[in-house]
Amino acid sequence: MSAAISWDPYNADLAKDPYPTYKRLREESPLYYNAEHDFYAISRFADVESTLRDKDLFSSAHGDILEFIKARSVMPDSVFIHQDPPKHTAYRALMQRIITPKRMHAVEQDIRKLCARSLDPLIGGDRLDFIANLGAEMPMRAVSMLLGIPEKDQEAIRQSVDDRIRTEAGKPIDIAAQQQLQQEALSGFDEYIAWREKNPSDDMMTELLQSEFKDPQGVTRKLTREEISNIVNVVAGAGNETTNRLIGWMGKTLSQHPDQRREVARNLALVPQTVEEVLRFEPPGPFVAREVMRDIELHGRKVPKGAVMLMLVAAANRDESRFVNGDSFNIHREARPHMTFGQGIHVCIGAPLARLEGRVALEEILKRFPDWEVDLDNAVLSSTSTVRGWDSLPAWIGSRPKNATVSIPKPAAAEAAPAPAAASGEVTLEGTWNVVVKGPTGPQPATLVLEKSGDTYTGSQSGQGSTTPIADFKLTGNKVYWVNHVTKPMKIKVEFTGELNGNVLSGKAKAGFMGSYPFTATKA
Amino acid sequence: MPKILFIEHNGKEHLVDAEDGKSVMQTAVENMVPGIVGDCGGACSCATCHGYVDPAWQDKIPPKGETEEMMLDGAMNVEPNSRLTCQILMKAELDGLVVRLPASQF
Ligand code: HEM
Ligand code: FES
Repeated sequence: MSAAISWDPYNADLAKDPYPTYKRLREESPLYYNAEHDFYAISRFADVESTLRDKDLFSSAHGDILEFIKARSVMPDSVFIHQDPPKHTAYRALMQRIITPKRMHAVEQDIRKLCARSLDPLIGGDRLDFIANLGAEMPMRAVSMLLGIPEKDQEAIRQSVDDRIRTEAGKPIDIAAQQQLQQEALSGFDEYIAWREKNPSDDMMTELLQSEFKDPQGVTRKLTREEISNIVNVVAGAGNETTNRLIGWMGKTLSQHPDQRREVARNLALVPQTVEEVLRFEPPGPFVAREVMRDIELHGRKVPKGAVMLMLVAAANRDESRFVNGDSFNIHREARPHMTFGQGIHVCIGAPLARLEGRVALEEILKRFPDWEVDLDNAVLSSTSTVRGWDSLPAWIGSRPKNATVSIPKPAAAEAAPAPAAASGEVTLEGTWNVVVKGPTGPQPATLVLEKSGDTYTGSQSGQGSTTPIADFKLTGNKVYWVNHVTKPMKIKVEFTGELNGNVLSGKAKAGFMGSYPFTATKA
Repeated sequence: MPKILFIEHNGKEHLVDAEDGKSVMQTAVENMVPGIVGDCGGACSCATCHGYVDPAWQDKIPPKGETEEMMLDGAMNVEPNSRLTCQILMKAELDGLVVRLPASQF
């Protein structure tokens, strides 16, 4: 007895374990049609492979995401993930000269240091959150290193990009809201690009500013500022959330296969094939979409021109006709390529970096924490039109019993400040304050040191490894205002406007063109 | 059927039959030769099909195209005899082709 199969990418319940449905799709409905959302889907390895290779029949001119294609989205030429040849070819060829495996491998040591910086403080503790402690930060910084984006601006950029590709569980992407966010993100990059133009370095951004290419009209020229913004957006958008998800899936999958994890921990030479198997087993981007350019027939069924075809990469990766026991996780399986990075002309240009990040992250985790067990009761899974993975994935790494109440360590212990105490007499402003500027995904810690001479306050603020003096400190009643001119590695003015309540200072921090974020500060 | 001898970085040899007109990369992947990945499926867009063609065969294979040249420029561990194997199509004259594989494709 088999009920009709239903596969709905917006069904959050299905997203928890889509694999039994994928198996049924491969076996019973290799060309699936979803009437509610009006799309077709293919799930067999051979079908996904051949459609992705057929760039003429399956077009990216309206993007590679279901909602974008349905909305007949149009993007500037330089958004090359969203184009067909010859537009795609012009920008992709240029990017291939710039995002090279060599350049990606050059940041390995920096990525390793970053992992160490994130993981070392957790040694001796009981908990590790694969996302909060590593996944949310490292991939964003890796892409930024490649681009040469100053460390202190990296978080804000990632946030604007993640907001753009996130859909609410169970809902299609809101394209109008996306465009709004895109506008905001772009205006931010413009200033950074202008700064880099005056401060050339050996990074990707400098090369984007200086390289010549043959544009889709055949004219040899340099990229415009706007094109560079778009390209940076594409690269950052494609490289952050996906690799973050990979780190989560490594944590989850290896927790549930402790024997294989122990084997890898004993022999780190097995790490690359382990990363590869996680990529196959739980692809961070479970599907890509294309527009069908002609009426076709597939598996005995017609697909009309203009339809949206979803290629279920996650289903293809477990196709039993290609991978023996496709639904089992086995780091020693036959070394056959999977579909996780796509196929054909749009194949992921950042795959060497993603693999490198996966390898370095896993090595650094295993060196410190050879054993862990994920706390699925407190983990949060999300699935969108573009990625599927963990928003939060806490794990036990210590010896504390599992039912003990523990707080999850956040990077640099930057938890929300305690509730303001009732006014307890005069609070002295001078001294050291732990400042936390809070983006929606993670806190950015800083230290503010205030000195008073007469009626004026002076001081300095440190964060992200650099210290600069503060200026214009004002106290009016319980309102405070100060400015932190950050100079390294780029000039940006951060304005803090807040209120002192009891022993807590809170308000907004406006970081130049990067936007405003709430902050709280407590006396150290 | 022409044959290709793939030699892994660790010295392990794989002698496989190649179909006429198929690329060296495709032949490796279909025969599950470890060490060739071929992420892009032959679109000359990924450089994960890198191999070193034995110098004896250098003159019999077609020269590198512009895109291949550019891709190899940015790849790791490139030698004068480096090729992207998806760009070499098999034919009878290439029977016995020897391709050594790099330590890693990524
Ligand atoms: C595990 C992590 C990653 C996964 C699973 C992934 C997956 C993919 C997939 C499936 C595509 C093809 C989309 C399509 O055919 O429409 C793609 C394209 C792309 N990826 Fe990745 N990616 C990852 C990491 C990265 C990183 C780290 C970067 C940047 C350094 C990056 C940059 C890009 C770009 C620029 C494209 C567009 C290529 C084109 O359209 O020609 N990706 N990625
Ligand atoms: S298979 Fe991608 S370049 Fe050869």
